[in-house]
Amino acid sequence: MIELAHVSKRFGDAVAVDDISLHIPKGKFCALVGTSGCGKSTTLRMINRLIEHSEGDIILDGQPIAAYDPVKLRRRIGYVIQHTGLFPHWTVARNIGLVPRLLKWSAAEVQAKVDELMNLLGLPKDEFAHKYPHQLSGGQAQRVGVARALAADPDILLMDEPFGALDPITREKLQDELARLQAKMHKTVVFVTHDMDEALKLADHLVVMREGHIVQQGTPLALLQHPQDPFVESLLGGLERGLKQAALTRVKDHMAPMGPTLPAQSRIPAAFSLRQGLSMMLRDHTDRLTVVDQHDVPVGELTLRKIVKEAQPEQGKVRES
Amino acid sequence: MSHNALGRSLTARGANPVMWPAIWLVLLMVCVWGFPYADGVLRVIEPDARQVVYQRASLASLLVQHLLVVSAAAVITTASGVLAAIVVTREWGRNFLPLVAQVASLGQTFPPVAVLALAVPALGFGTLPIIVALVLYGALPIVRNTLGGIQGVDKEVKSASAAMGMTGWQTLCQVELPLAAPVILAGIRTSITINISTAAIGATVGASNLGDPIIAGIVNGNMAYIIQGALTIALLALTVDSLFERLQERLRSRFYTS
Repeated sequence: MIELAHVSKRFGDAVAVDDISLHIPKGKFCALVGTSGCGKSTTLRMINRLIEHSEGDIILDGQPIAAYDPVKLRRRIGYVIQHTGLFPHWTVARNIGLVPRLLKWSAAEVQAKVDELMNLLGLPKDEFAHKYPHQLSGGQAQRVGVARALAADPDILLMDEPFGALDPITREKLQDELARLQAKMHKTVVFVTHDMDEALKLADHLVVMREGHIVQQGTPLALLQHPQDPFVESLLGGLERGLKQAALTRVKDHMAPMGPTLPAQSRIPAAFSLRQGLSMMLRDHTDRLTVVDQHDVPVGELTLRKIVKEAQPEQGKVRES
Repeated sequence: MSHNALGRSLTARGANPVMWPAIWLVLLMVCVWGFPYADGVLRVIEPDARQVVYQRASLASLLVQHLLVVSAAAVITTASGVLAAIVVTREWGRNFLPLVAQVASLGQTFPPVAVLALAVPALGFGTLPIIVALVLYGALPIVRNTLGGIQGVDKEVKSASAAMGMTGWQTLCQVELPLAAPVILAGIRTSITINISTAAIGATVGASNLGDPIIAGIVNGNMAYIIQGALTIALLALTVDSLFERLQERLRSRFYTS
């Protein structure tokens, strides 16, 4: 659990972060979003004390971070950065095993952990263990960066625009894998990005920052439905907000049981989003899709009318909460 | 690129990299042991001189003396230069950076001959003043390259090492120095190579080394003496320089930094 209470950071006269309060429950994925220079990276780096905060309290598992030894604190917090920061003179395996070695694990334990992580992140050991960072593609290098951050089983993972330098296809693939890992490992993640789609896709809790302040925070759906001001609205994509909201909603939550009529020709997997459903309807010139499970067996029906109507009660529910 | 391909491209560059140090070393040995018997050849250069083979001391013993002086200076210069550069690149030593950089460049702008002239009254004749002169003269390349090497380490890499929980000492020993090593080694190479030739002036203050035949040749107007000293020094410098090149190649092939 991470708690920031009235935290500020000043560099000389300039205020980088101004009186922010943030509560990140254990196992939740929190994304800090905002334009360049809004203080999101500074906020992140204050958590592992790469930058010392000027005012307020940052509390980690019940203790203020000032009470921890910075070196020990950092060894229990995973950290991933945009350009990976891999050590160019070390092999992939040695890079991944860094923190366990710092923590004086035995060689066999380090080896086992490195093997496990390379396997987990889709880096075949025989092919990659002895490669050097310059021999990797951007996506592979960032997998190694994530593996290194996870090596000592930290509860907390800090990620500073980890996929910002990757091409869109690799980025999306790594986002999917991070979502898959997070569903399995339940780390407390603080994730900095300026890519709103990335944040909407991954986060449980979204924090919009601007000029050192928190403008609005809440679940992605809540922010999409009720952006507080034009800035948040434009960051969320303005007119495309509706589509982004549809992208967050699964088909299986909105399908109707199979009707008495002939099933529609176009089929959509139940795990897909409403946005993908809409897109498929536009492509196939239809207002009806057959929903199928992972074995391609029809399980229900999705209609355009239902997609459009369903937005209403959902909104009411969020308002109550 | 696979390991093997990297290795191949390194050996493919230039001739067999093992060869050059060996070639220079053999030539050096030929000079050292051959000049005493080369009366006929040296006579061609100085037909009228009473003597053409330098006989006051054997070239081998002068070579050993020469190497000792240069090595002593190299050890002192490398240890103090690298240490100073490390200190001023730490957070707590940053204030001394301009001072160290200036002292190092001052050492090289000061001509070694002038240093000798100043050092002799304080330290007396012999080996000590020339070591002082060489230390001052050779400090700049080492300090400058160590500074450049350490400052040239990618900021992201340094920041990552701190973020992973490495202590300052661990970052220095495991990240900064290994990554700066090729550049530092290049500085040591430059420093030692120029000092091998500069050490010859030690002969003027009674430090007997390969400079002796040169000074004797100048004093007596004997070109044959000068050639014996100069050729041996040049070959010594080439041998040592090519050895360092080998060392650098090995360092480069161990970890290739993109």
